[in-house]
This record gives sequence, structure tokens and C-alpha cells, in this order.
Amino acid sequence: MSDTSRIYLQPTPIRIWHWLNAFGIVTLGLTGIQIRFPDYVNIFAGYKTAILLHNVAGVVVAASFALWFFYYSFVARNMLKLYVPSKDEVQKGLLRQAKFYLLTYFLGRPNPHHPTPQNKFNPMQKSAYLAIMFLLMPLLGLSGILLINIEPMRNLILMIGGLKILMAIHYLLACCLCAFLFTHVYLATLGRTAFAYIKPMWTGWEENESEQHETLDLTAPRPN
Amino acid sequence: MKIDKRLIILWIASLTLFGGVGVATLAAPDWMSGAPGWAIRFFLGYCGIVIVAQVFAVMGIIRRPEDSTVKNSRYRILPVLLLLVFVGLTPARAMQGSDCQGCHRDAAMVGAAFVVNPTTFDTTAHAEIGCPACHTSVGSNHPDDGLVPSKAGCQDCHTEVSREYAASSHYGSAACHDCHNPHQARGATAVSGHDMNRQCRLCHATDAVVERHLEWLPQTELHIAMLPCVSCHTAAQDNVITLYVVKRQKGANIATLEPASYVELQGLAKGKHVESLIDGNEDNYISLTELRLFNLNSKNPLRLQGMMTPETVTHDFRLLANRRDCSFCHASGPDARQSSFIALPQSDGSYRRMAVERGAVLDALYGTPDFYMVGSTRSKALNYIGAMIIAGGLVVPIGHGTLRFLTRKNRQDEKESDHE
Repeated sequence: MSDTSRIYLQPTPIRIWHWLNAFGIVTLGLTGIQIRFPDYVNIFAGYKTAILLHNVAGVVVAASFALWFFYYSFVARNMLKLYVPSKDEVQKGLLRQAKFYLLTYFLGRPNPHHPTPQNKFNPMQKSAYLAIMFLLMPLLGLSGILLINIEPMRNLILMIGGLKILMAIHYLLACCLCAFLFTHVYLATLGRTAFAYIKPMWTGWEENESEQHETLDLTAPRPN
Repeated sequence: MKIDKRLIILWIASLTLFGGVGVATLAAPDWMSGAPGWAIRFFLGYCGIVIVAQVFAVMGIIRRPEDSTVKNSRYRILPVLLLLVFVGLTPARAMQGSDCQGCHRDAAMVGAAFVVNPTTFDTTAHAEIGCPACHTSVGSNHPDDGLVPSKAGCQDCHTEVSREYAASSHYGSAACHDCHNPHQARGATAVSGHDMNRQCRLCHATDAVVERHLEWLPQTELHIAMLPCVSCHTAAQDNVITLYVVKRQKGANIATLEPASYVELQGLAKGKHVESLIDGNEDNYISLTELRLFNLNSKNPLRLQGMMTPETVTHDFRLLANRRDCSFCHASGPDARQSSFIALPQSDGSYRRMAVERGAVLDALYGTPDFYMVGSTRSKALNYIGAMIIAGGLVVPIGHGTLRFLTRKNRQDEKESDHE
């Protein structure tokens, strides 16, 4: 028999950030499609509405990014530990997690990683989130801020190489984020139940099974 | 009456010269200005005198010198009188052409207010009809007659435009000459977008314009800077993308890019035509390769700045509701943005356009790096790359999800064993 325990995994500021982000990014994606392909897509009433919504959603996502950064940097103070994979995780953890996703998951084996508030992400998550939160999101946000302020920031845009190059960067990064989003949403359903990973992001609490913890602790080395 | 053969030959030669030079002068009235003009007049006068003298000689009115046994005062005086009459008459003819510029090019002679720059004026459509076509009262005694020269009304020729303008919101606030100097007026495609807006700014200060448009227009400053006002405030049609050469002015901020003048471009062209700065093979056509070379040249202090300019302009100034709908310009799709031109300043103040290869403004990176019209200048190549990236993201849900579905029994078994 398993002894189900609950751990408080997602603190309130992070949950607010996550859902603001989610709502904002979906809005950005939909409005972005209309902005790029207005002759084919008209989801929102009028092009101007799409532009304004896109700008507002962009500012919301940028603000929520600031909230995330502030919380992990100055309140929880565990940003690097959460997001930067350790040497062991890079050398062994990545392979172990990839093996789980690509093989042992299909055989019905449990996930080798068990989240704790101080080690929420598995090595693959860490690597992906490191690239996304420290590279993709800042670049996407900065290019968006430049595009909202083309005339005042013409200097910077010219230094980058011009407006068209900036647009190309913004568009391709957005496509990368969109590609990640599909993977992210799908992998979020990979828990014991479809909502097992999604629910904690709403309530903060994740149900875990202590027996499995023990088993996994013996079979797989925990990351530092 | 016996006519000497040598006289006939002389006669024909003189007539040919007189007629030839006369016709050429009428065909190219510019020749009549300045010192060459006076030389031509004296030559014509000489030919005329010879012809008249020969006619008179044949008719026996005057005698040829070899036949004369006495000093013939008539023979000596008549040619001189005829020369003076002819030379006196030629300025009167020149007044009917562009010889007005003989005086009106010089501020010291006519005053700054009455100077007409011949370099600028000569290439306008108005130069083709000539000064007297509008200033009909100017006669041979001008300016000694003391009369104030008459001026034709613009509506005398531009009837349709005048009618259109009379119904516009501008009518009553500005006369034709408030925006158009008839001595500099050119067609829409021979004027830069910046020049068009310069006329508007004479009354509409940029700050005030930006402030009014802030109420509804996103990227207000950008739109005001990169669009000729007439593109939205008249029913001007057939908008194309025109690329102008801009240059960072010495000592100025990098962002302070101003249209490069003809003199600046000529200096950079090092003796060649200004067009050679972009049009490497000088075929009056800009290929995408030439465009890339221009944009990728790191030593090049010039950049290309795009404006959406109308091919045909109208004078029905008004507020058009459909211009407030962003999709009027931005949802037209890439097909509408295939045509583009590069316009370069010329020595006479006009702009000369060269067609650019199709798709320049859609090219991914180096076609027009500083120009992007969201929604209508998207690059197909980037569309495909983006689609491939997104498709890559779908591989995990679809591929993994399929295997997950097929192996669902394994996990159910595992769950059941856990519960036991």
C-alpha cells in the first residue's frame, strides 16, 4: 500500500506568475498569428485590436517575468539551484531522464525524478527552462520592447542590424516558444494522472507517494 | 535680269544657315540665354543682312561694290541699320522663351524674391510651356515698361485638380502656391516623400501632428516619419514602397538619419553617377544582389529608408475613415508589396527612380533591413522556417503521445501492482 503525502511545491507568487504567463503567452500567440497573417487570420475584431492586445499581453508577460525573477532572486533565493543543472545532472541525470521519457515510461516505470521545493525540476526540465527563462524569454521580451518603441529606440535597432532583422529574431523566437509550449503542455500531462502535474500549479500542493521516494532514492542517485 | 551664279550659291548658303540656326534656336530656346545667345543673335543678324543685301542687289536697289564707281553711302549704311533692327528684334523673340532666366537667375539683378533657379526650373513640366505661357503680359520692354507681370491662375490649366481641391477641407486655408512653387513643381514620383511632408509642415508642425495622431494611431511617431501625409489624407492610390538613401549626419546620433543630398552622394560616388552607389552595373535596375551588396557593405555610411508613397496623387484633402482601419495598409498581404523603387536625388532637386527586383521588401534580411511593414512584408522563407520550428514542437506530443497510447496497458499494470 502506498502512503500518499502532500508537499507544498509551488508558492503563490510562482503560481500567479505561471498563469499570468500562460494566459499572456497564449494571447501573444493568437494575436501574433493575426498580426503576421492578417489576410488569412482575423481572430480578434480588427487589426488594431490584435496589435493593442499583443502589446498589452507582452507587457503583462514582461511584468510577470519580473515577478518571477524578483521572487526567486530575492525572496526564495534558490533560482540558481532550481534552474542550473549540476555537473552530475548534466553527466548522468540528463541521460537517465531521457531514458525515462523515451523508454521506461512506456514500460510503466516511475519517473526517476521526484520534485521537492528545492529541486523541482528534473535535469531535462532544468536544461530546457534554463535556455527558455534565461535566453529565449529575455530575448523575446527585449525584441518586443524594441518593436513597441521603434522610433525612441532606433539607435539600438540599427545596432542590431535593422528593423527587419529584429522582426525576424522576434518571430523565430516566438516560434521556438510556441514549439516549447506544445511540448510543455503535453509533458505536463505525463503524471500518474493527466492533471497530476497541472493541479499543483493551481493549488500549490503536489500529492506524492513516499514509498516510491524510497525506492527511487535507492535505485537512482539524487542530484545535488 | 542677269544673276551671278556665285550670288545664287551665296544666297542659298546664307538661307540655309539662317534657317538652320533659326529652327535650332526655336527648338532649344535655352541656347538664347547668356553669351551664346548673343553670339547666335549676331550670327542670325549677319546672315539676315547678307540675304537682304543680296536681294536688294539683285533688285538693283543697291549696287555691288565692284560695279560702283562712286562711294555708295546707302550700301554702307543699310547693312548696319538692318543689323541693328535684327538684333533689336531678337530679344523680343527671346522673351517668348526661357531667356527670362538671363536676368531672373541672378538675385543681384532682380532681387531674391524674383529669382528662378534655372537648374530647378528647367526640368519641371512648367518649363516646357515656357515663362510667357503664364506671364503673358511680359513684353519686350519688360521691366522698363514698369508693368507688374501678370500671372496665370493654376486653374487655367489644372481645371480638374482645382475642382477637386475646391471640395477639399484644405480649400480656403491654403492656395495652390502655398504648397506648390510653380517654378519647382514636379510630378509625384519625382519628389521624395520627405519633400512632400516638408510642404505639409509649413502649416502642420510635426509635434502637433504627432499629438493628434497619438489618440488612435499605434507607433505614431514611426507612422508620421515614414509616411507621406497624402497617403492617408487624400484618396491617393497605388502605393508602392520607395526607398530613399539616408545618411548619418556628421557628429549626429546614429539614429539621426537624414536623406542624403545629391552633393553628398556625388562625393561618395567619386566621379560616377550617384546611381552607381547602388546600381553597380548601371542598368537602371536594382537586383536583390545589388541591394544586398549595398546593405552589407560595412564601410557604407548610407542606409535605405523605406516609405509608402502614392503613384498617383489627388488633391481631395479630407479625413478618410478607411485609413483608420490598420488593415487598409497592413492586411493587404505580401502581393501588394512586391513593387518597390529606389529614388535618388538629382542635381536639379528632383528624384530619379529605379525599379527594384520583385520581392525586395519581403527578402528575409538584407533586402531592406530597415523597412518592415507588419502584416504585409512578411518573408516566405521565414514563414517556412517558423512553421518547421513549430512542427518540431509538435513531434513530442504527437510521437510520444502515440506511443503513450499504445503502451497504456503497461502503466495500468504498474498502478495495479502498486495498489496491491
